Amino acid sequence: MIHGESGGNAMTPNSSDPQRRIRERARPAARAGVLAALLLAATSLAAPAQTLPPAQSAPAAAPDFGQDATREATWAAIRPDLFPSAPIGEADGILRIEAPTRAEDAALVPITIAIALPKGDPRTLKAVTLVVDENPAPMAGRFGFGEGTTAFTLTVRVRVNSYSYVRAVAETSDGALHMTKAFVKAAGGCSAPATKDTAESIAKLGEMRFRSFAQSGRPEAQVQIRHPNFSGLQMDEATRGYTPAWFVREVEVRQGRKLVFAMEGGISISEDPTFRFSYTPSAEPVTVRAEDTEGKTFTHTFPGNGS
Amino acid sequence: MSRQRRAAGPGGLPSCAAASRSGRVGKAAVLALLTFALTVALTFAFLTPSPAHAEPPPEPDGYRMDAYRAPVPATLAGARVLDTEQAAALWRAQKAAFVDVLPRPPRPANLPAGTVWRDQPRPSIPGAMWLPNTGFGALSEETEAYLRAGLGAATRGDVNAPLVIFCQRECWMSWNAAKRAIAYGYRDVSWFPEGTEGWAAAGLPLEPVEPHP
Repeated sequence: MIHGESGGNAMTPNSSDPQRRIRERARPAARAGVLAALLLAATSLAAPAQTLPPAQSAPAAAPDFGQDATREATWAAIRPDLFPSAPIGEADGILRIEAPTRAEDAALVPITIAIALPKGDPRTLKAVTLVVDENPAPMAGRFGFGEGTTAFTLTVRVRVNSYSYVRAVAETSDGALHMTKAFVKAAGGCSAPATKDTAESIAKLGEMRFRSFAQSGRPEAQVQIRHPNFSGLQMDEATRGYTPAWFVREVEVRQGRKLVFAMEGGISISEDPTFRFSYTPSAEPVTVRAEDTEGKTFTHTFPGNGS
Repeated sequence: MSRQRRAAGPGGLPSCAAASRSGRVGKAAVLALLTFALTVALTFAFLTPSPAHAEPPPEPDGYRMDAYRAPVPATLAGARVLDTEQAAALWRAQKAAFVDVLPRPPRPANLPAGTVWRDQPRPSIPGAMWLPNTGFGALSEETEAYLRAGLGAATRGDVNAPLVIFCQRECWMSWNAAKRAIAYGYRDVSWFPEGTEGWAAAGLPLEPVEPHP
């Protein structure tokens, strides 16, 4: 958790799993292309000591060799708490998640969720929940949608603490849950220390920016809220203790009176929470309201047609 | 360290290659292909750049204060440095107290009610005492007291008792903690830089551990 980019999934039990080590070391063999399975054994013994740091490793083309089971065990452990009793179905083609395979900065991993019901589907979209399995507080955020929403795309930046699945679980108006997932190789995101930018975020606490991208042809807008969004897992060398958690808990974006989305967020949302979302400009002003874990609220209104 | 084990590791390369070949490999062509593929694979394995092959950094004057997951020195003044085989020998003989200092942040006190929290499990060397968060460069008074008390419990108050301090490979936290143990007056401190990763890679067992209270 203190460990930065070179950490891999160093803080997880997975890192000690021989299966994983074999897979990591097998990459050269995979490059050779032939007899990969056989070479696995040879290379694993030949190069025992070094798991490549993320930056130098080949893309994750190698098969998972059972590691998936461990990761799904994490999901099995957290699922009942996050989605009690409800069965969760497949994405059914209505839900997609995009995440970098290998994140440059584990404290700022962009995740895009795109949901669209097919034409003629009588249902609407209620909400989508973003989960980072291996984060100690796995629920990154739950995003509720305005009435009548049938399609929505959202990009949010999150912290990823160790190699993890990120999942989107969408809820349709019939109460059904649909899930999709992506694997992200990033580590140390939750505990990445505060920076100069953090000081600035505190100085400008609650300031916001709103931008519509309609002019460049995309029906999207972006909101950024200045806030350190302390995860509670960041070590402060000055106080020699963990900086207490302090983050934006709720965000509500409205166009006129109509709700665009409302987020309930956790510690995994990155510093200066930033949301890019489906948006069609209109004469109606956009109001963004945020509330943090200290009960501070911030509200700003922007012209609906741009920045 | 990786090189040593590469050369000397039990069940190392030669035995593996022999085992592969001694299987049901009847056809010369298959053998040739196999040999070729092995050669290619090993070439890649050895040529792949890796920081462990770089010169280890020198010991800093004091404690390491940040970027804890990075190549570590080859030495620690006042301590013995153990490779996996040596650590395993001490462990089998039950002659040393093993202390794991892998960090794990506690659940923040002020999370909203209902926040789902899951502590990362920690598979460690069986019998080890886990003193999480004691390997930072600067410790709060509370953490320092926890480390002192933990080391005291692990050694039953005997400063001459052998101590083996570890976390993971390329983890400065074990280096820091071992240095601290020496500063506290422990006289038989060993640092095991390969940690649980090296341990598991050598086929040695790990079992889940909970933080020392």
